[in-house]
Amino acid sequence: MCLGIPMQIRSIDGYTANCEAKGVRRDVSLFMMQDAGLQVDDYVVVHVGYAIQKITPQEARTAWELYDQMLEGGTGA
Amino acid sequence: MSGDSPRQWLERIRGLPLPEHVRIMNVCGGHERSITMAGLRSALPENIELIPGPGCPVCICPEEDVFEAIQLALNEDIILVAFGDMLRVPVNAPRKDARSLEQARAMGADVRPIASPLEAARIARQNPGKPVVFFAAGFETTTAPVAALLVEGVPDNLFVLLSGRLTWPAVAMLLDSDTPGFDALVAPGHVSTVMGPEEWEFVVHKHSIPAAVAGFTAESLLAAMYSTLRQLLEDHRFLDNCYPELVQPGGNRRARQQLHQAMDVTDANWRGVGIIPDSGFALNTAYTRHDARREFPSYADDARKRAGEMPPGCDCAKVVLGKIYPNECRLFGIACRPRHPVGPCMVSDEGACRIWWSGGMREPVTKPKRMMA
Ligand code: SF4
Repeated sequence: MCLGIPMQIRSIDGYTANCEAKGVRRDVSLFMMQDAGLQVDDYVVVHVGYAIQKITPQEARTAWELYDQMLEGGTGA
Repeated sequence: MSGDSPRQWLERIRGLPLPEHVRIMNVCGGHERSITMAGLRSALPENIELIPGPGCPVCICPEEDVFEAIQLALNEDIILVAFGDMLRVPVNAPRKDARSLEQARAMGADVRPIASPLEAARIARQNPGKPVVFFAAGFETTTAPVAALLVEGVPDNLFVLLSGRLTWPAVAMLLDSDTPGFDALVAPGHVSTVMGPEEWEFVVHKHSIPAAVAGFTAESLLAAMYSTLRQLLEDHRFLDNCYPELVQPGGNRRARQQLHQAMDVTDANWRGVGIIPDSGFALNTAYTRHDARREFPSYADDARKRAGEMPPGCDCAKVVLGKIYPNECRLFGIACRPRHPVGPCMVSDEGACRIWWSGGMREPVTKPKRMMA
């Protein structure tokens, strides 16, 4: 549950941002980040639907690589 | 040095004049997953032992809370929503009764898995005539969004059955005990992102245990381990931050403020462990109208609150506290597998048993029994 996913902001409407990661779009709450002055194209780490912190594009890429590795690891049975 | 590869960090660690035996504990299921998937245990020198500690909120969610959620779902005309992991957590009920939320659903209860608190509010809005109970278990990273949801405003028919926990008090409890079981700590990355790294300073200052906050890449984890080893060797302790891209002094202040606004910190029960002081969240008076425990008081059953209430034969509590490895449990991989979990540590993606099994660490104990000092 504590794994945050980096996403890029595509549009902002109030405290809700439509964010994208690898072609998947989600509405994300910016309510916990309302002081951060977030803008379209910024990257954020999203945890259970809430942006918890801003990150650089480079950091987003690194985090995505890690996420891919973990998904490959699978959950097994 | 932050851009260095895992190989460079490993070489650096191998170059240290290491003591005979060092035990480094992590307290985050995400860390344990990265360590296991990257094979860091076998890559590191033998004298370094990596111990998964209290990093799984699902695993320690009290049995009585899960039982309460099941009974609510079965007996009231409500919709019960919970994070997906919680649906398969077993309680100690007779075989003919519902032993998990999943089984309650199979018996006709309206139980729905959600991935975000936002979905709980959405479902409540779509069903204005029905109470929606959000069974919210989680550590700070998950509880802060629940607080944010409440502060932003939720429909009148949404009630929260809160089972939020703080991570650092469990580490404090271990360190205050006679047998903490570790010599250095890798502090959690996203908990620190929200709450601020300062929460972990007591480890260094009060207990003189080296500590470093880590992110989730092998590089960041190895950097944190290297830092704690240097601290040990040079006898110079400080709380290092090996995840500066996310973890900033003070954490996410707005999130902390929202937590403070909606919730109080209280003593709380950890499944199989007992009460840990100041380790739980409770809705504060301004939000009691959304408290499921107040709306449905007859389901809170104090008689169920007893320590040691893991399913029979399950050593999950010892696994959570880093006292044994998953493969030291007699049921690991035999009676207990992800498809037929006996205990919560095999249910949750953050449970060490599940992570080890998924990561291919399936052998029974291979290492000599470690020193428990
Ligand atoms: S292997 Fe299963 S039974 Fe054993 S401690 Fe882990 S969850 Fe419990």
